[in-house]
Amino acid sequence: MHHIVLDRWSRGSSAAHRLDPRAKIVPLLALLAALATARHGLPEFSAAVFVLLCAALLAARIPLFPALARAALVLPFAVVFAVVCWLAGDPARGLSLLLKSYLSALAVLTVVATTPLPALLRGIESLRVPLFLLTVAQFLYRYLFVISEEAQHMRKAAAARGTPTRPLASGGARFRAAAGALAVLFARSYGRAQNVHRAMLARGFTGRLHPLFDLHFRPADAAFAALASLAPLAARLALEKVP
Amino acid sequence: MVSPRGDTIVSNVILWGTAVHIPDGFLSTPVWATLDVAALPAVGYMVRRAQRGFDDAKVPLLGVMGAFVFAAQMINFPVGIGTTAHLLGGALLAYTLGPAAACVTMASILAIQALVFQDGGILALGPNLINMAIAGVLAGYLPFYLWGAGRWRKAAIFAGGVLSALVSAVLALSELLLSGVRMPLPILGVSLTLFLAAALLEGAITVAVIGALEKIQPDFVRQPRLGRPFALGAAALAGLLLATVGVLLAAAAPDGIQKLGIQTGIASRAQALFSTPFTGYQAAFLAAGWQRKTLGGLAGLALVYAACLVFGRAVARKRSA
Repeated sequence: MHHIVLDRWSRGSSAAHRLDPRAKIVPLLALLAALATARHGLPEFSAAVFVLLCAALLAARIPLFPALARAALVLPFAVVFAVVCWLAGDPARGLSLLLKSYLSALAVLTVVATTPLPALLRGIESLRVPLFLLTVAQFLYRYLFVISEEAQHMRKAAAARGTPTRPLASGGARFRAAAGALAVLFARSYGRAQNVHRAMLARGFTGRLHPLFDLHFRPADAAFAALASLAPLAARLALEKVP
Repeated sequence: MVSPRGDTIVSNVILWGTAVHIPDGFLSTPVWATLDVAALPAVGYMVRRAQRGFDDAKVPLLGVMGAFVFAAQMINFPVGIGTTAHLLGGALLAYTLGPAAACVTMASILAIQALVFQDGGILALGPNLINMAIAGVLAGYLPFYLWGAGRWRKAAIFAGGVLSALVSAVLALSELLLSGVRMPLPILGVSLTLFLAAALLEGAITVAVIGALEKIQPDFVRQPRLGRPFALGAAALAGLLLATVGVLLAAAAPDGIQKLGIQTGIASRAQALFSTPFTGYQAAFLAAGWQRKTLGGLAGLALVYAACLVFGRAVARKRSA
C-alpha cells in the first residue's frame, strides 16, 4: 500500500523534518491561498511555486520523482474537468484547474512528507481545531492499516472459497454476499474498538491521549515560517507587476 | 484513496460520480472561503453534540469505524455489466452511531483523505465537509429519523442512502458550477444521471448491509421513535429536495435567476437596499485587478464570520439561560 511510503518519508531527520509543525502549516496555508486566488500570470507563478516546492523536497531529502508522481493522484479528476472546460470553450480555465490542483496537492504532500502525522495533528490542534475530532482522526489513521488488512484477508478468503474475483459474474446472491462480508467487517471493527477501549482503560486512559513529545516553537521556526509565508506572496507580486 | 485492484474504467467513473472530493484550485475564492467559514461552526456544533452524554469509549469507536469505512472500499458490490460499486458509508454510519457521531467520523475521514491520500484539498476541506460530513449525513438520516420505526423502515433506509449520496454530489456539482466551471448541458445531464445511478446503488448497498447487520446483532442499528407525523416529515423531505435542486439550478444558470429578478423588479429594489460595495464580490472603490476580487472576497468572508459569531453567541446564551 503506497501510503506507507509517505509515512516512511515523514520520519526522516532533515532540517525540514525538525521544524515545528506549526512553522510548516502556516506557510502551507499562505501558499494555498496565494495559488487559489492567482489569476494573471498564473503559468509563471506556477513555475516559481513548482521550483520552490522541488527545492523544499530536495532539501528534505525526499525522493523527488516518486513525490511528484504521488501528487499526480489528483490529476485524473482534474483532467476530466479540464477537458470539460476545454470543450465548453474555456481552455484557460482548464489549464488553471490543472496547475492549481496539482501544485496545491504537491504543497500539501511536501508538508505531510516532512511531518509525522501525530506531530502534524498536534500542530493543527494549536490552531483551535477541536481536540475530539483530531483524536478520532488519529485513531482512524492508526487502525486504517489494521482494518484494511482485515478486509484484504476477507477478500482473499472469499476468493479461496470460490467467489469469482472478476466482477463479470453478477447477481443478487453475490450482492448479498458482499453485504454480508461488509456487515461482518463492521461487527469485527466494532468489537475491536471495544477491546481497544478496555485495554486503554486498563492502562489508565482518562479520555485524553498524552503525547510523548512536546512541540517547541523556536526563533528559527518563526524565521522560517515568516520567510516561507512571504516567499510565494513576493513571487506573485513580482510576477504580476510584469506586464 | 485505497483503490481496489481489478476495477474497470466504468466503475472508476462511478467512483467519481459518488465520492466527489473537490481538490484545491477548483473553487473560486468566495465559494471556498464562505464554505470554510460556514463549516467551522457546523463541525464544532456536531463535535459538541457527539460529545454530549460523552463516554470516552467513543473516541476509539469513532476512529475504528472511520477506518472501517475506508476499508469498506475494498469490498466490491457487483452491479451488472462488469461494473462494481462500493459503500460510501455516510448513511450507514448515521444509522449505527447516530448523526452527530457520524458527522465527526466522516469529518475525520475527509481530513485524513486530504492530508494522507491527496484526495480533496485543504482549502476545499470546508466545502467537502459541508457536502459529505454535514449535509450528506443529515440528509441520509432524515428519512430514517422520520419513518425508521414503522413498516416503511426498509424504504426509509433505502431513501436515506440515496439522499446522502445524491445531496453530497449535487452540492459539490453546484459549488463547481458556482465557481465558474462551465459545463455544456449534455455533460451536465450525463453527470447528473451518473450521480443518480450511484445514489441508487448506495441506497441498495445500505439496505443490504443494514439487513445483514441486524441478523448479526440487532442492536447495532438504532431504533428511532415511532409515530412521527407524516405530513411534517413529507414537508421536510420536499423542502430538502427543493433546496438541493434550487441550489443546482441557481448555480447552473445564474443569468436566468438574474433575468427573473430584473423581470419581477426585485433586482432594482434589492440593489437599492444592498447597494454596492459587494456587487459581484467586487469592491468598487478599488483599482482594477486581483486585489479587488480578493478584498471583495475577504470582506464577504468577514461579514459571514461576523454573522456566524453573532449566531453562535445567541445560541450559546440561549443554552446557558
